[in-house]
Amino acid sequence: VNELFRNTLSPAQWAVLAAVPPAILALYFLKLKRAPLEVPSTYLWRKSIEDLRVNSLWQRLRQSLLLLLQLLVVTLAILAVLRPGWQGTKLTGGKLIFLVDNSASMSTRDGDGDGGADSESRLVAARKHVAGLIDQMDNSMSAMIVSFAGEPAVVQPFTNNRRLLRERLATIEPTVASTDLKGALELASGLASPAKTQANGEATDAAPADAEKAEADVRPEEPATLFIFSDGRFGDVKDFALGNLDPVYVPIGSDQTHNLAITALETRRSESDAGKLQAFVQAANYSDKPADAVVELRRGERLVDARKLTIPAGEITGATFPIGEANAEDEGVLEARLSSEALAISKDQLKVDDIAYAAINDSQASRVLLVTSGNVAVEQALVTGRAGRLGDVTVELPSFLDSNSYETRAAAGTYDLIIYDRCTPQAAPRSNTVYIGVLPPGKAWRPSPSPQPLTPNPSLSVPQIIDWNRSHPLLANVELGNFDIVESLLLTPPAGATALVEASEGPIVAVAPRDTYEDVVLGFPILVEIDGALQRNTDWINRLSFPTFWLNTLEYFAARQTVGDRSLHPGEAIELRPLSPATESIIVTSPSGKAETLRRRGEQPFVYRLTDELGVYRVTEGGRETRRFAVNLFDPAESDVRVRIDETPEEAEQALVASIKIGDLDIAASAGATPARHELWRALLIAALCLLVVEWWIYHRRVYL
Amino acid sequence: MPLTQDLLPPDLARRLQRLELVTRKVFRGRMKGERRSAKKGQSVEFADFRNYVAGDDLRALDWNLYARLDKLIVKLFLEEEDLHFYTLIDASPSMAFGEPTKLEYAKRLAAALGFIGLIRADRVRVETLGGERSPVMRGRRGVPRLLEFLEKVEPTENVSLEEGVRKFCLRNSGKGVVVLITDLMDKQGYEAAMRYLVAQRVDTYVIQVLSGAEIDPDVAGDLRLVDCEDGDMAEVTISAPLIARYKETLATFTAGAQDYCNRRGMNYLLTSTERPVEELMTTWLRKRGLVR
Repeated sequence: VNELFRNTLSPAQWAVLAAVPPAILALYFLKLKRAPLEVPSTYLWRKSIEDLRVNSLWQRLRQSLLLLLQLLVVTLAILAVLRPGWQGTKLTGGKLIFLVDNSASMSTRDGDGDGGADSESRLVAARKHVAGLIDQMDNSMSAMIVSFAGEPAVVQPFTNNRRLLRERLATIEPTVASTDLKGALELASGLASPAKTQANGEATDAAPADAEKAEADVRPEEPATLFIFSDGRFGDVKDFALGNLDPVYVPIGSDQTHNLAITALETRRSESDAGKLQAFVQAANYSDKPADAVVELRRGERLVDARKLTIPAGEITGATFPIGEANAEDEGVLEARLSSEALAISKDQLKVDDIAYAAINDSQASRVLLVTSGNVAVEQALVTGRAGRLGDVTVELPSFLDSNSYETRAAAGTYDLIIYDRCTPQAAPRSNTVYIGVLPPGKAWRPSPSPQPLTPNPSLSVPQIIDWNRSHPLLANVELGNFDIVESLLLTPPAGATALVEASEGPIVAVAPRDTYEDVVLGFPILVEIDGALQRNTDWINRLSFPTFWLNTLEYFAARQTVGDRSLHPGEAIELRPLSPATESIIVTSPSGKAETLRRRGEQPFVYRLTDELGVYRVTEGGRETRRFAVNLFDPAESDVRVRIDETPEEAEQALVASIKIGDLDIAASAGATPARHELWRALLIAALCLLVVEWWIYHRRVYL
Repeated sequence: MPLTQDLLPPDLARRLQRLELVTRKVFRGRMKGERRSAKKGQSVEFADFRNYVAGDDLRALDWNLYARLDKLIVKLFLEEEDLHFYTLIDASPSMAFGEPTKLEYAKRLAAALGFIGLIRADRVRVETLGGERSPVMRGRRGVPRLLEFLEKVEPTENVSLEEGVRKFCLRNSGKGVVVLITDLMDKQGYEAAMRYLVAQRVDTYVIQVLSGAEIDPDVAGDLRLVDCEDGDMAEVTISAPLIARYKETLATFTAGAQDYCNRRGMNYLLTSTERPVEELMTTWLRKRGLVR
């Protein structure tokens, strides 16, 4: 009976409901105060009644057809209140947490429908699942809804108000962000376990009443059921203990969903002609059939080029397009899109990643400052033909570091790159830096247990280079095994640093992030001053890799600033440096035209965080558009919209939906994936309504059977 | 007089002038009438010869035949006589229903029949079951008096059909035509009343008048039906089977009455108040032979 019916009323409410049919009967008997009607004679009537009385009880019931109909209507209503249904999963436990993935891949339209644009998106399917589960909740259950993409958000804290849950559920909108399940899990477990509830209750101060209710609802010993509605497009979640959460993974979507995506769009100066720009487009085919994708490239409103890329199944293909003058002028927006015909043919189901944007900024030479007391080798390396096009190199003597003009520019971030050759500034500047033969100021690069702040690092004589980081862009195409170094510092890079060149004793070249900048430290000077004369400290300057390294350095730090910024991921914050140190506020306009004015304190750069839309954002400084940056999905995990399938060989023939892994726990996809219960109450209520209409008609038209 | 006009519109009167009342039985009129009777009598119109028997009026002997044949032959002449025409109206409260009321309808019918009788020099008398009776009227001059009397007829207190008819028969011993206009709705039954009329050996016409609401009732809901005559109450819940059953009962009732009357040589006629009097007079009663 529990399977078939679900109680929704309290005993008191039941008592009231149970009183309704007797009340109707009573009303019918009370109604025996019949309307008097004078007739010429009751003679014939009496005879007729006597005839009828001979008949059965059924005759009498037929006379009160209206009573029967009313009782039937009430019966249907009571049945509807009992909520008969079948095939539902019985919800256990008093607390439910619904984690709804609203990342970019959930916009895939592979749900119910013809597979075209009218199909239901995965998010809608997930919402339906959740709604089905909400419908099954008893009064004693409370549920919480959390949506997760880039940032998890509590859509609705714990409540047993099903209507409120449904209303809030409908507010979950698709985003373009990537999936971050761990954050959602942390949020959910924080809200579900009482120890952390206090803190989170304060955090959700937007709805203090709800937070209070959540606290009241939470009972420490009660485990919560955690429903995860997602297409599984995320990595395993490590280092997370579910505790008393009982996870259920409901995969949404199909493994047969095809998708073409643009996974990269970059602009760079042409190798052959620095005045021209090239765009590099990478398209991926996430399907099991090769696809022909026509990539259209538009600059502003103008179609620049279109090219057909043949992408084998499951692979990525790139192409380079010339896109004309490096000068941005009014055409600072580059847009690459897959043509709609190609998308239709390959049954592309996700629209978000069919368009990519790139921002082209006015080509202004990046400014590079070389502070040296004289270093011909580096100066020469920085003024080669190609290097010269990448940046303006200014050479200053170390005494310049003490001047006011240096301090102002360093604090304002005027330079894109500052190279300190055997000299150290008082404080780290607001720019990327390269230190040659010295350590940056501050403690970060010193050995940590250092008793004194400026203990020199141990020096190495004739260090032997044993390895270098070939994958780092700074060392692209650089071969370092063929030169010697006389003397070098042994570096102790700070946390997060990447060792670029390792000697047998340890790293001698390393790069480490500092705020939003990066510091490169070469532990060995190129030239050393011995007895007033410059002498070589290394014969690297004779190798081809030397100018290549400096070219890489310029490209890495300076050139990318000029043409186009690296594309941001949705939700990623960007630091915007003003052109003029005096600028107090800038305006950032989103692709949809939403403008936001940013202000800053002191010399800090502006930080813009509302990168929730895909497209090109425009930065206006002093009434002039000074800069653009693009936000793109560019996330293979989101673009590959096929539901993850277990590829372990023994299960290959079944092609099971892969389980997700949280901590040490494998959570298998819940079987059937339709936990929603089929409810009859709507049909019952509609039937009751129809009966009511029939009853009204009978009453009104005096129709008697 | 508008009411008189209502009872007997001039138009109807004009059409009725061509009609006369007929009786199938042989009755002795008290006075000479305009009616040629089946009885042989003393008109100027020759009818037949027959042999003289002792006691015959010698004035009827055909002396010429006696001279020629030496036999006593009596000449018979057609008799012209008047007719006793009684209209008996049921004025019980139940007759006050319908649109027009059954009583009103009965009065119009009585006026029309009486008019025919009067213009044919029959003896016309109208009585109600309650005992009101008009004087005997004769001749065209009686028409206003007839209408005047009919106008005054109002529903009286309830008198049973049997009682009313019995008193009528006691009061009027003369033979003739009796038209009983009633709804026959008497819980004691109509049979006893009919037997009195049979015993009276009058030519009886029973015209049962029912209102439209009685023939096809348009009622609904749960009702307490109150009998207007004896206050009897019947609680009914109107339903389609009940209505059907009622109609069935009514049909049985009227069929029974017709059968009863026909078996006893009486004419029975069922009419609704919705049927115009004129139509009833000129077609129905003509077919039934009451008028010609």
